[in-house]
Amino acid sequence: MNWPAFWLSLQVTAIATIAILIFGLAAALLLTRVRLPGLILIETIILLPLVLPPSVLGYYLLLLLGRGSPLVEWFNVRLLFTVPAAVIAATITGLPLMVQSTRAALSAVDPVLENAARTLGSSEIEILWRITIPLARRGILAGLILGGARALGEFGATLMVTGNIPGRTQTLPVAIYDAVQSQRYADAHLMVLVMTSLAFVGLFWVRRLEPPPQQYRAATTRTEEVYDEATASH
Amino acid sequence: MTKPQLHIDIVKRLGTFSLQIELSVRPEILVLFGPSGSGKTQTLQAIAGLMTPDSGTIALNDTLFFQRRPALPLINVPARKRCIGYVFQQYALFPHLTVLENVAYPMAGQRDAHQRALTLLERIRLPHLAHRMPHQLSGGQQQRVAIARALATNPRVLLFDESFSALDRAIRDQLHADIRTLQAEEQLIVLYVTHNLDDAFAIGHRLAIIRNGHVEQVATLDDVFVHPANRRVLDILGIPNIIHTRVIESSTARLLLDWDGLMLESMPLDCPPGSEVTACIRPEDIRVLYPDRPVSHVVQHNYLDGTIVERRPGRHMHRLRVALSDRHVVEIDHPTRTYTNLPLPPGAAVKLALRKESIIVIPSRHDRQGHTSHQHYDPKPHSNPTYQHVHHEHNAS
Repeated sequence: MNWPAFWLSLQVTAIATIAILIFGLAAALLLTRVRLPGLILIETIILLPLVLPPSVLGYYLLLLLGRGSPLVEWFNVRLLFTVPAAVIAATITGLPLMVQSTRAALSAVDPVLENAARTLGSSEIEILWRITIPLARRGILAGLILGGARALGEFGATLMVTGNIPGRTQTLPVAIYDAVQSQRYADAHLMVLVMTSLAFVGLFWVRRLEPPPQQYRAATTRTEEVYDEATASH
Repeated sequence: MTKPQLHIDIVKRLGTFSLQIELSVRPEILVLFGPSGSGKTQTLQAIAGLMTPDSGTIALNDTLFFQRRPALPLINVPARKRCIGYVFQQYALFPHLTVLENVAYPMAGQRDAHQRALTLLERIRLPHLAHRMPHQLSGGQQQRVAIARALATNPRVLLFDESFSALDRAIRDQLHADIRTLQAEEQLIVLYVTHNLDDAFAIGHRLAIIRNGHVEQVATLDDVFVHPANRRVLDILGIPNIIHTRVIESSTARLLLDWDGLMLESMPLDCPPGSEVTACIRPEDIRVLYPDRPVSHVVQHNYLDGTIVERRPGRHMHRLRVALSDRHVVEIDHPTRTYTNLPLPPGAAVKLALRKESIIVIPSRHDRQGHTSHQHYDPKPHSNPTYQHVHHEHNAS
């Protein structure tokens, strides 16, 4: 078992998950709340990592972080072959899952409830905080777990931008690849088991969080009691 | 100090539909009545600030909520600052909060919020449900909680948007009574949107008939049937027996109308002989005469002979369709229970009588002219004698 890789993976995933929460929520809010003509383009770009081969993503990240990019030339920020590069790769691959799930949950919140809150004196920020996000919380959390699990499993792009330096930038999925390459199968077995368990627990949670249909609607009536019956008990 | 008033005068275009509403509401229950899609809900949304009109004014007393007029500064107070209670059709309780938290929602941050929410729940007789979730309540209970929550902002204006249309008759009646009490106690300005005429009569003081984005008439409940403003109002109210007649004689004592050969006598009205007028007869105003009894002096005019074509039983009234001698068919509501039952099988010959007052002449000029809502708000009701009948609404209530 490659413990340094394990701990590094946990750290990278933790930071990436926080980034996914912040950027994913912001992006989902932007996509559901703001009406702008070019928004569908932004959405498509955010979702692109779902379908692009990891090597393509890695290539773009090399362009972004490597020599000749504005980041290096103008700001002298050198992230290539460092842990932050792994975080960026993990964030970008996890983000689309978070955005999709959050977006669906936010738009499933009945606008009548938000209107009701408006007439009850709430500002837009307050409505978001007290009504919309609490009602969409299951979808947001499910998206976050999915995104986090995807970040934990990020392999291809990470391999290209971290340089696979054992003990320094080698994450667990890359370490597994390394172990198989050098035929250390016992090592690989254990790490595969750990990865599978983590993914299983994550997905299990997501399944439990997935709301039954109509979860976010304003409460509707199942049975209609007679008015007098209802008051008689009081 | 004048009485508080809500004044609305707005225009809003929504695709091909155009909303043009002018209303003044006192502390009363004004029912906005009209078919679906006539602009009733949009009117409420504009008042609450959930929809922004293209132009016009919305004001409560001296406070302008909305103003967009040429050469005047734009004012648009956001919904949260208007302090207007809005009760939605779908109850719109927050499903993640308990009943008590729902009612306390507008008072968040205030120290006695829960205590005051409990007081409001006592007022709607539901304090025992304070810690339930909304989905555990029946529709009627949910709607009462929604009313309590709307009251938590201490509104001067309460809006009901088809709020009870999904509820059973008995529950609706009780809620209507509750709201009437509430309105009287707090002197609230209440607007109540419905497309159900029974509901309108059960709760309202006055009726604003809305069709196609326009106010056709504002009148008290009594007046609207006696003095319908125009043909469209008749259609919306569902009054049958609309007749087209020609004026034969017009005197201070009576108006004599020729309905395709049948002479009908109605109340005097300033219509020149020879002119064509539209009138209607409410089905419950046509009396079926007992063949063996003397005729009461109030129905000494307008005897008609007819043959029953159809008889449809009803709970309070039988609806009869009777063919008259001029081959027109009229609808008659005949009480289901009378001291002496009259056999009324189809095919039977019957004698009918009509009071002079029951022939309601509609000022026909409204039908031909393009409609402008201002006609019905004319503060000088007698500027045109033809409208004399229509404008009684201004003196009423």
